[in-house]
Amino acid sequence: MTSTHLPSRPNEASRAASALLSAFRLGAGQTLAGWPVLVGRCIFYVILLIVLSALWDKVVAERLPGTLAGELPAGGLALYIGVTEWITLALPAVHLKLEDDIRSGGLEPHLLRPKSYLAQTFSQSLGAAMVRLGALGVTALVLLAVSGREPPPWEAFAYIVPLGVLGVVVGILLYALAGLMAFWARRTLPFQLVIQKLMFLLGGLYAPVTLYPPLLEAVAKASPFAAHLYWPSIQAIVTSREGFLTGLAWQGFWIVVLSYACLSLWRAGLAKVLREGGV
Amino acid sequence: MIAFLRLYALQVGAAVRMSFADRANFALQVAGMAINNLVFLTLWVLFFAGFKSVGGWGFSDMALLLGLTMTIVGICGVAFGGYRDMAVSILRGELDALLTQPKGLISRLLARESLATAWGDLAGGITVLSLFAEVSLSDLPLLILALSAGLTGYLSAAISFACLAFWASGARSFARDLTDFTLLFSSYPGSIYQGAVKVVAYSILPAGFVVMAPVEMLREPGLKSVAVVVTAAMAYAVLAAGLFHLGLRRYRSGASLA
Amino acid sequence: MSAVITIANLRKQYSYAKRGRGLFGGFSPQHVSIEAVDGVSFQVERGERVAVIGPNGAGKSTTLKMLSGILEPTSGEASVLGLTPWRDRKALAYRIGVVFGQRSQLWGELPARDSFNQLRHIYDQDKAVFEKRLGEMVKRFALAELLDQPVHRMSLGQRMRCEITASLLHGPGLLFLDEPTIGLDVTAKAAIRDFIRDHARDHGQTVLLTSHDTRDIELVCDRVIVVNAGRVVVDQPTDQLRRRFLGRKIVTLLFNGAQIVLDLPGVTRRASDAHAVVLDVDTRLVRVEQVITAALAHGGVEDITIEDPPMEEVIHDIYASAVTTQ
Repeated sequence: MTSTHLPSRPNEASRAASALLSAFRLGAGQTLAGWPVLVGRCIFYVILLIVLSALWDKVVAERLPGTLAGELPAGGLALYIGVTEWITLALPAVHLKLEDDIRSGGLEPHLLRPKSYLAQTFSQSLGAAMVRLGALGVTALVLLAVSGREPPPWEAFAYIVPLGVLGVVVGILLYALAGLMAFWARRTLPFQLVIQKLMFLLGGLYAPVTLYPPLLEAVAKASPFAAHLYWPSIQAIVTSREGFLTGLAWQGFWIVVLSYACLSLWRAGLAKVLREGGV
Repeated sequence: MIAFLRLYALQVGAAVRMSFADRANFALQVAGMAINNLVFLTLWVLFFAGFKSVGGWGFSDMALLLGLTMTIVGICGVAFGGYRDMAVSILRGELDALLTQPKGLISRLLARESLATAWGDLAGGITVLSLFAEVSLSDLPLLILALSAGLTGYLSAAISFACLAFWASGARSFARDLTDFTLLFSSYPGSIYQGAVKVVAYSILPAGFVVMAPVEMLREPGLKSVAVVVTAAMAYAVLAAGLFHLGLRRYRSGASLA
Repeated sequence: MSAVITIANLRKQYSYAKRGRGLFGGFSPQHVSIEAVDGVSFQVERGERVAVIGPNGAGKSTTLKMLSGILEPTSGEASVLGLTPWRDRKALAYRIGVVFGQRSQLWGELPARDSFNQLRHIYDQDKAVFEKRLGEMVKRFALAELLDQPVHRMSLGQRMRCEITASLLHGPGLLFLDEPTIGLDVTAKAAIRDFIRDHARDHGQTVLLTSHDTRDIELVCDRVIVVNAGRVVVDQPTDQLRRRFLGRKIVTLLFNGAQIVLDLPGVTRRASDAHAVVLDVDTRLVRVEQVITAALAHGGVEDITIEDPPMEEVIHDIYASAVTTQ
């Protein structure tokens, strides 16, 4: 039993992948185990959509002359909001998990294991997010059918699903940045709040950033927050292959940049813990 | 009555001092909530800059509504903070200890906690009311009436939701969700709701009576609008007290043990 | 026999900023450094079961952290299973198991089986080998009914059995245990001690354990290292210490009336009050049973408690005698 099982080189990649997959399943399992919370989230989603679509339906019904209302699509922004909230509510609180593990010393058992804590945590969060995306997605489709609203063209769904998944990845990375600040700050709440509010504002949670003044629109579109929310959601009201590809490119860019940022913070934080024995 | 108020003030004073205890954390929570409200307000500024009005509501009406909502939530959190986790308190059996004491139960439950974030709401609410809501000093008596009625309605709704805990253990987080839903309805122009949604907003999730009717009262003062606001607030208060005592009777009979 | 752990002159110095007094004190912090571990050296052979004990803040957990690779020393050398822990943390991780009595490494909401399965992937274990080990553990540790239970619904004793299982599933040659029986009841403690000892013996596993319970040390370990103020003060076989320091019991007798004077060899009376007599019993000279029989014969006894002397006291005794022999 004292024989050692070190991974042999050729197998290393596949073993790393299987550990990540296993963490993904674990995250999904945890979310399913907490199903009452999941149901609560779906109900919240429904009520949020009812309120927000009431707002935009009213604006479109009135179409006051000389306002931005002329730029709104015929069906209002209900579909757009449906996607932004779908992504927002699917995000797990990865920042809280990181803060908790880092500040409480809960990192130690993980550091005593041969796989990267950061990669495992990320994979686990992604698993949780996918279950939520699924449950909220089904809720959205049911609500769409019940509301009698005209659905977007079928290809919109083919664009929204991959962009939505990548949007969630961007969101998890953004929140992970806030959580990793726990190596240096006692509370990560301020970082998390700033990121969350920027998601609302620059990500276009309540309305597409195209309705903003030109400068703000340009800044927003290039930000990671638009990669998180705007690019997936705009497909619900302005479906285009070009928009899909542009969004995909921005998401790819920001996933690389944010992953690198997370990794750098993690390495610096880990070095601190290994040197000082804690935070 | 004076003795009761003095006792309540004493309890809340202790709860507030407790929320102050970790000062850095307190400041963080207040600032966080203030930023939160500021961003929300900014979104509405952007909205009305682009769309001018919705259902006859302009920015000042929305500011009045937001100001009322924030102030109400702020006062509730500071002075009646126990409302937030009242269902949890009931489920944890915290009533047992309180039942052995001579003073009122509901007030004890409400005074057991003061929420730090509520100061951020309160500050935000007063700022918004005084800067953007276009209410004049002569409106002050009506504004105070609106706040008192809204506060009564909101708190009564929250207590009624918490009473679900007497009948169902699943009410632990559900009661809080329902309060949040009421708050959600209270954060959007009252003019957008129609049909079934409007019925819900004026009944189960009484955002209609917490802020919308008070806003209308301030905009078009009259005997009728005042009567609606006051009657509704009293009705919800009676409902909450009734539900609590029904629940308590069940609790004492030992039927509700979750 | 070959050395599994060799450490030589290991030191760890922590420095922290101490705020000055007064209004501007915060701007001119003084840097204070403390020697948490101050030149520790020892060697552990394969198959040895060693207890590292010492008062709080003596440096034992700092030493264990450095040995498991999650803390870099200020200076000194260490070799664990042929690796330098802080340089080869991940490679070492495949070959050691760690149990923290006060910290769970399982995923609470999920059945224990899911946690075990996750660990199989983290440690790249072959499914067949893993299942065989788990099967063995389930049998010896009576886990069959626990496997499908969410961990957060288990009792502390049940959870600890699962924690230990989790740390052994990848077949580590070296096991670190930090307070493995803390907070458990007597039966649960006994089950865990038996399991750790037998499992290690059967598999030639090396064990390094810290505990505040003298029985953990007596029943599991064959060697004791006492650390104080960052240094090793005693390093002896348990047998030798047992004879001198571990063979003691504290017997407390509650009376409802006149107290008695027990005149037995090996029994000394400690601070007592009007209703209680606290006796120090040297079990090499007299059996606890004899003491109790004598007390009962006297009559008027209301309650009896038998305890092990607290670890602090044992350490103090060992330390005091080590100093005098020097």
